[in-house]
Amino acid sequence: MKKLDVRLLRLIKNSKGQFISIAVIIILALTVFVSFNMMRDNLDNTIAHYYDITNYGDVFVEVTRIPGNAIENLYDIEGIEMAQGRVSNDVPLRVEDPNEKVRVRVVSLPQEEYIVNDLYTIEGRSLQENPRTAVVLQQFSDARSINIGDQITPYIAGRDYPLDIIGIVGSPEYIYLMENEQSLLPAPERFGVIYVTEEFAQSAFGFQGSYNQVVIKIQEEHLNKIDTIVEDIEDQLDRYGVRRVTKREDQLSHSMMMEEVEQLDQMSTAIPLLFLIVAAIIINIMLSRIVKNDRMSIGVMKALGYGNRAILAHYVKFSLAIGLVAAIFSSFFSIWLSQVFTNLYIQFMNIPLLQMDIYYIYFIYGILLTSIFCVVSGLMGARNVIKIMPADSMRPEAPKAGGRILLEKITFLWQRISFSWKMVIRNILRNKRRAAFLVLGIALTYGITMVPVFMASVWGNLFTIHYGEFQTMEYNIDFAKPMNHNAIRELTQILEVDHIEPKVEIPFELRNGWRKKNVSVIGIPQDTAFYNFKSPSGTPIVVPRDGIILTEGLGKILGVEIGEEIVLKNFIPDREDTTILVEGMTQQHLGTNAYMNIDTLNHVLGERDMITGVMMNSEDQVVLKLQDVKNISQVQSVEDMMNSFLEFMDMIIYSVGIMMLFGGILGFAIVYNTTIISISERTMEFSSLRVMGFDKKEIYKMISRENGLMTMLGILLGVPIAYGMCYGVVSAFATDLYSIPLIIEPRSYGVAAIATIVFVTVAQLATIKKIYRLNFIDALKNRVS
Amino acid sequence: MSEKVLMKVEAISKIYQMGEVTVNALKDIDLEIYQGEFVVILGPSGSGKSTLLNVLGGMDLPTEGKVFMEDQEITGYNDKKLTAYRREKVGFVFQFYNLMANLTARENVELATEICKGALQIDEVLEAVGLGDRKDHFPAQMSGGEQQRVAIARAVAKNPALLLCDEPTGALDFKTGIKILTLLKEINKKYNKTVVIITHNVPIGAMADRVIKMRSGGIIETQINDNPIHPEGIEW
Ligand SMILES: Nc1ncnc2c1ncn2[C@@H]1O[C@H](COP(=O)(O)OP(=O)(O)OP(=O)(O)O)[C@@H](O)[C@H]1O
Ligand SMILES: [Mg+2]
Repeated sequence: MKKLDVRLLRLIKNSKGQFISIAVIIILALTVFVSFNMMRDNLDNTIAHYYDITNYGDVFVEVTRIPGNAIENLYDIEGIEMAQGRVSNDVPLRVEDPNEKVRVRVVSLPQEEYIVNDLYTIEGRSLQENPRTAVVLQQFSDARSINIGDQITPYIAGRDYPLDIIGIVGSPEYIYLMENEQSLLPAPERFGVIYVTEEFAQSAFGFQGSYNQVVIKIQEEHLNKIDTIVEDIEDQLDRYGVRRVTKREDQLSHSMMMEEVEQLDQMSTAIPLLFLIVAAIIINIMLSRIVKNDRMSIGVMKALGYGNRAILAHYVKFSLAIGLVAAIFSSFFSIWLSQVFTNLYIQFMNIPLLQMDIYYIYFIYGILLTSIFCVVSGLMGARNVIKIMPADSMRPEAPKAGGRILLEKITFLWQRISFSWKMVIRNILRNKRRAAFLVLGIALTYGITMVPVFMASVWGNLFTIHYGEFQTMEYNIDFAKPMNHNAIRELTQILEVDHIEPKVEIPFELRNGWRKKNVSVIGIPQDTAFYNFKSPSGTPIVVPRDGIILTEGLGKILGVEIGEEIVLKNFIPDREDTTILVEGMTQQHLGTNAYMNIDTLNHVLGERDMITGVMMNSEDQVVLKLQDVKNISQVQSVEDMMNSFLEFMDMIIYSVGIMMLFGGILGFAIVYNTTIISISERTMEFSSLRVMGFDKKEIYKMISRENGLMTMLGILLGVPIAYGMCYGVVSAFATDLYSIPLIIEPRSYGVAAIATIVFVTVAQLATIKKIYRLNFIDALKNRVS
Repeated sequence: MSEKVLMKVEAISKIYQMGEVTVNALKDIDLEIYQGEFVVILGPSGSGKSTLLNVLGGMDLPTEGKVFMEDQEITGYNDKKLTAYRREKVGFVFQFYNLMANLTARENVELATEICKGALQIDEVLEAVGLGDRKDHFPAQMSGGEQQRVAIARAVAKNPALLLCDEPTGALDFKTGIKILTLLKEINKKYNKTVVIITHNVPIGAMADRVIKMRSGGIIETQINDNPIHPEGIEW
């Protein structure tokens, strides 16, 4: 081996702590880079493939009722490849515990060869002619331990229908299983999907020869014109009472999955970049220190005839070695992490085909990226090699002139500081660049630690704000069909009700020019006690008499301001569209809606006194008592939401832990390395202190004080950085379904600060050995030789 | 000794500027060094001996003047050529040994020889400086004199045309000093290498073909020895 390389190996051996800590950061960066990129591709490709083999639809139409032959007519529209009707309704499921409320979506499957939104049979058989059989969605069967051969009993229109389970399936429509846009989280033990024969569904729901949904597949070459096709479909189906037309991009599961892909994509760049930059800065500082220490040796190398390039290469190899070692380890880790993630996806989502393919190209990209970072930071760190002359090797470095610091000029203050603190402050200010890096590093650690702490509390906040402040009803009850005020009277006879309000909830298409969005418009009494609308700045908004209130996000989507008009396009046959004034924008973190005065909404619909549901508070056993009441399609209680939320917390805590670990590793590496570097730089100074009679402990204490002071500064600077990072996360995570409120609780600041201090302390303790092992006498002696 | 000029120094000066203070380390020096010559440079501390040696060895550039090696002007060299010059032509023994701390004695020598052509047998050279049994020791495990011998071995093993030694015996006891000088003389005679030695030690001048005396950056006297004595005969 080349002797320079021998020297390099020994150099690495002498600084293995630094080597390892930097390598760990790079391992993290690379592992995240490779595995997240692979996961994104895997997920993206699998979803595409899944859609492909199941003929996943492009447009989904909900109508009141449409006869089969009317669907045939849709083929007149150019670009429609396939249109199929189906019957789909949400009904209660009979379960053992009467207090448990489980709902299933019963969906009919056409008896045809080619099925749009086909199922993927995971276990058992596919659905045959027998109308008393059903296949069930895997998430649901898993969550409720339903097996093939079991019976399940949906309760349809006042009757029990026991069905034999003959198969367990996956559906492209429910990769991410949520009941509707209002449900924040999947709750597969309380909501599931079962597929039944068309014959069964049509007879049980009273839809003989007709359907209430149309799934449409559009010819590939016409997909670019999807919007005009959708309009044609709307026109043609208008008289069948179009309730809602959803394009695939707006479909719940699909948009959630795309969101997931998008998040993987963002994280696969952001995290590695951040970590690589930190690693690069540490490498830079470390190497420039080593080069400074090696001045004599570099002079000798030059005297012996080694060129700048050879010597630079010698040092760059140091950082490159870190990068390569990290690359090897991260290759294993990324395969492992992808496996873990794949399993998580399989567990939490239903993509039966998901498998982990390894894309070697990302290993190559990752290694290239790391090499570039390491070489550049290595060159930057070692660049002073060029300035060293061979003749420099002959004399020891003159001590740096230490000027007075600004603080000393404020004598009044300076005199009050004890001697050891004076030394601490001088030392910090002596190498400002490194002090700045340390402070910034600690600030970054603080920020990275804050994000998971914030995220952990935010879901709770999201929940309390939405269900505690924004809307305060305990139950949301939807009727199976529109009713009038008598329904309220009937309900109050069955239940002990504290407060009850009627509501109308109807899907509309809201338009502003070319911008449009399908949402549920909710009509509520003008003096509602259940809704507290607030503008983003916090001023309360009252329900207007004639106008409409939009959620902030909806306003953005439509590009409207308060005082402008939008078009309400209803799906009722032959009714004109209405223009309506936007009178308020409310903050709503969960879901996208519009709100109107219930009477005005009735007027728009050409109805009087119509209600589609109620909101209420009650101490009564609501779910139990409404169990068998006709015409109630669903009872949603805040308590249920709370339970799904608590389950979801488990997953959150898992990822919070990982993020904390990341922050900790980063903080450790930064503090550990800067401390080691500062110790090696000040060997002489410490030696002199030792000679003056300081003992090891006092010197260690001095360094601890320096780091302590820096940590305080770092945390102070970390507060705005943490806020910025949380802001970034909030914007990155905002979707149509929810927007995260940027509320950082005071407690979170404290938790993040404590975590940061722990990381710093651990790093500090790790350097204690170096101080105690410093050979002070040698240091003084070596200065001459 | 031939009359062939190996190195020629024309009117060089070296000025160090340190803020307000200007140090004239070398003042207008002219010098010729002949092929196969053994030169001793004498002078008090701070007289510019090391500076001159550095300039000869291509380790430092003069502020003014020209330096030639075999008709090639090294003061006109770019960095790359200067590096090649140091690599192929010059062996340098530093005043303060300057070994690489994390390489063993043998590795320190190898560090020098592995990049140049026609190097000598490393073990032989180490044997010759009396370090045959300490080859695998690190500098920190050796005495000053031993380190100095490693430094000499490192310069000699390259088998350079020009061997420049900055106080090679400064840290050594009498006996070892003589041994080193004998070694240098041997190299000078056997391989016909040019050797330039800096020393404070006036008696050493007796073994040189020529003695150059310096004071405050200038050459004050050049003395030619027609009959240089064998190092064994030196006493101090
Ligand atoms: N890098 C430098 N910067 C400033 N002055 C320098 C530098 N190197 C040498 N000098 C000055 O140049 C003068 C000559 O120094 P040089 O090292 O050549 O002396 P020397 O004859 O080798 O002395 P010694 O016998 O003590 O080694 C001295 O006054 C020294 O202070
Ligand atoms: Mg000198």
